[in-house]
Amino acid sequence: MAAADAPITPEGQAAAHAARQAKLRKRSSGRLMIFGFLSPSLAILLFMVAYPVFSLVYYSFFNFSALRQATMKPVGLKNYTFLLSDPELWERFVFTGKFVFICVTLQMLIGIFVGYQLQKNFRGRDVIFTILMMPMMLSPVVVGFLWRYMLNSEWGIVNFLLSSVGLPKVDWLGQTNAALWAAAAADTWMWAPFIALLATAAFRGIPETIYEAAEVDGASPAYRFFRITLPMSAPVLFIALILRLIDSFKQYDLFVALTGGGPGSSTETVSYAVAKTAFSYFYTGEASALAVILLLIITGLSLILVRHLTKMSEKY
Amino acid sequence: MNHATRTRLLASAAVAATAMAASAGLARADTTLTFVWHAGTCADALVEIAKDYPDKSVKIVPALVPYGPQWHDKIASEFAIQGDAFDFAMWDSQSTAEFASHAVKLNDMFDQSSYLKADIFPPASLSRYGEYPDGSGEFYGLPANQDAYGLTYRKDLFEDPKEQEAFKAKYGRDLAVPQTYQEAKEVAEFFTRPDQGLYGWAQMGGRDYDFATTASNSFLWSFGGELYNPETFEVKGYLDSPASVDGVQAFVDMFKFGPPGSQNWGFDEVNTAIQQGQVAMAMQWFYFNGSNADPKVSKFADKVGFAVLPGAVGRDGKFRRQFSVGGQGMGINKYSKKLPELTKFMEWYFQPEQQKRYAAVCQTGLKAVLESPDWQGLNSYNRQFSTALAYLNDYWHLPEYPVLLDELQQEISAAAAGTKTVQQALSDAAEKNERTLERAGYEIKRGESTPEVPDQTISPVGQDKVVPVE
Repeated sequence: MAAADAPITPEGQAAAHAARQAKLRKRSSGRLMIFGFLSPSLAILLFMVAYPVFSLVYYSFFNFSALRQATMKPVGLKNYTFLLSDPELWERFVFTGKFVFICVTLQMLIGIFVGYQLQKNFRGRDVIFTILMMPMMLSPVVVGFLWRYMLNSEWGIVNFLLSSVGLPKVDWLGQTNAALWAAAAADTWMWAPFIALLATAAFRGIPETIYEAAEVDGASPAYRFFRITLPMSAPVLFIALILRLIDSFKQYDLFVALTGGGPGSSTETVSYAVAKTAFSYFYTGEASALAVILLLIITGLSLILVRHLTKMSEKY
Repeated sequence: MNHATRTRLLASAAVAATAMAASAGLARADTTLTFVWHAGTCADALVEIAKDYPDKSVKIVPALVPYGPQWHDKIASEFAIQGDAFDFAMWDSQSTAEFASHAVKLNDMFDQSSYLKADIFPPASLSRYGEYPDGSGEFYGLPANQDAYGLTYRKDLFEDPKEQEAFKAKYGRDLAVPQTYQEAKEVAEFFTRPDQGLYGWAQMGGRDYDFATTASNSFLWSFGGELYNPETFEVKGYLDSPASVDGVQAFVDMFKFGPPGSQNWGFDEVNTAIQQGQVAMAMQWFYFNGSNADPKVSKFADKVGFAVLPGAVGRDGKFRRQFSVGGQGMGINKYSKKLPELTKFMEWYFQPEQQKRYAAVCQTGLKAVLESPDWQGLNSYNRQFSTALAYLNDYWHLPEYPVLLDELQQEISAAAAGTKTVQQALSDAAEKNERTLERAGYEIKRGESTPEVPDQTISPVGQDKVVPVE
């Protein structure tokens, strides 16, 4: 209090001013240095991300085909209104939603279960772990073709196994609902190990002392799993969920190889429609508008999930 | 000039000369002509033949993709960026309209080359695989690989006296290769014996690329239907006309005599069924006969015969035999910088000697080979193929082909899967096709009425009686 009340001398003012200037100089040179270091990455990022996104949005307002090279005709929001009033696009959103829901649910359940088993130390654990990771290393197109042959109604192994136990053969890829489950099974086979990998890492990161204390308090294994293991590994599992949600939402290559979008157009995802409109139809303007819609949805979804993740991380 | 200076100069000249020679040699060795095609027997044949190209400084490099949309998209994407990642490509006859603006117009090549002239190809073949617009005399592709839909059948079953006797007892006529789809239905029904693992008929119905529609169109045209009216651009009333519905319904009905799930089949599955003797008859491209007749590939190679596809007697009582054209034209990328080398290669490749080698496994478009007396005996199916050439029909020759095709594929695949009736599927396809044409700027001139049998009004091919072919 005494220091605050003391009169400020001109010398003192000058010294404070000089100190402030020095601090500002230091801060600005620091900023300059940071900017200098960041600028190459920023330039690359701008070129690689901002420019394509800007172009995408720009082209979405034109009637334009990259292949036919006709003059670009501005059409305002016509591409958007055409797409959003097309009932087939909504059918694709519904199908994509169903696919994402089934895949992510199955992958999370199987991945967490397998991950929980793999966190335990047992002989041969590393070998099993490596084998489980193998589907994840394959390209989705390869997985699609592989499953296409396995699910062949006449000579595929799946129907062979079904008929060997007296069950009727199923036309997996020729019926809308069966094709949805077939695609979900292929995607789950490929990506459940990814969840298992992250879940194992998260489960093994929980301090053993917490479990010991819970055991002393008489907590059952189920109680320990639901009240300790799951909550404490929630941030990691949530990241896995976000990654799988986004990835499943933009699934394209699996369907190209597995169903070709059929029967009819019943297994066309939104990403499939974007690729088809852009590179088969070469309706570049319309495809750009569809890509913008998809981008907005994925960005919105990611923002919501990341906000939850932040809250969750603060909690645990 | 002293000795040292002279030595330095001579050394420099020697180095420069060596460098120039080396670079010239490198340039020669580096001349690669890249082509895009779908992988398969015919692409392999081209690569094999090209190995004997006398100019060893030129190398033919294949950039092969699976048959289907990837193949179209690879060519289209390169054209969109006006790139020269490939120098020439084989594309479907119906893609010429879409790619013409990016391809070299071959009329100039015909004028300048001493050998490569339009008249070395049958006019109908050159027109089918390279002309755009139809009838314009402007060519963008050479008939490098002709193809047609055909019929593959189990000779051993058709020639079995017990089968012949049983068939005659049941249907009151001789068992023979069917001339109409009405006959084919009976033969297919007769041979459908799931308990023996034998089925009567296999055909493509899959959603991919053009699988379902190349097959369904063959029925549609034979029953007198049409995809659209090329004069008025009307699709409604043509694609969903009663005759078109009859045709596509006959196509869908044939799945009853196919292996379960064959509604989703592509050519791979049809080939497997043929090669395993699972079907008595199959609708398949002549393109695959090379492998289906090869004992190294098929254990039924010596038991299969090849024939021309049936026709149909339509609701107007007229007989028509029409089926899808296959194969590809060879077009040149106009952004390629190797046109002189490419012209020389093509002048060599389209010589009868090379094309005769090609014709042993695939279908050439060179007149000299097609007209040679030994061509029909080169394999077990060329004779039928030469007959089939007279009955070919094609999709729309419009730049909007990929969109129109995809819309029709969606609907035919849905009808084959049973999720829509044939009438509903064709009406929906007609609606979508018209919308696509309107968006592309075509003016649809709606007539006062639409025909029950559209073929009667668009280049009619109907005949009063069934005209059998061998």
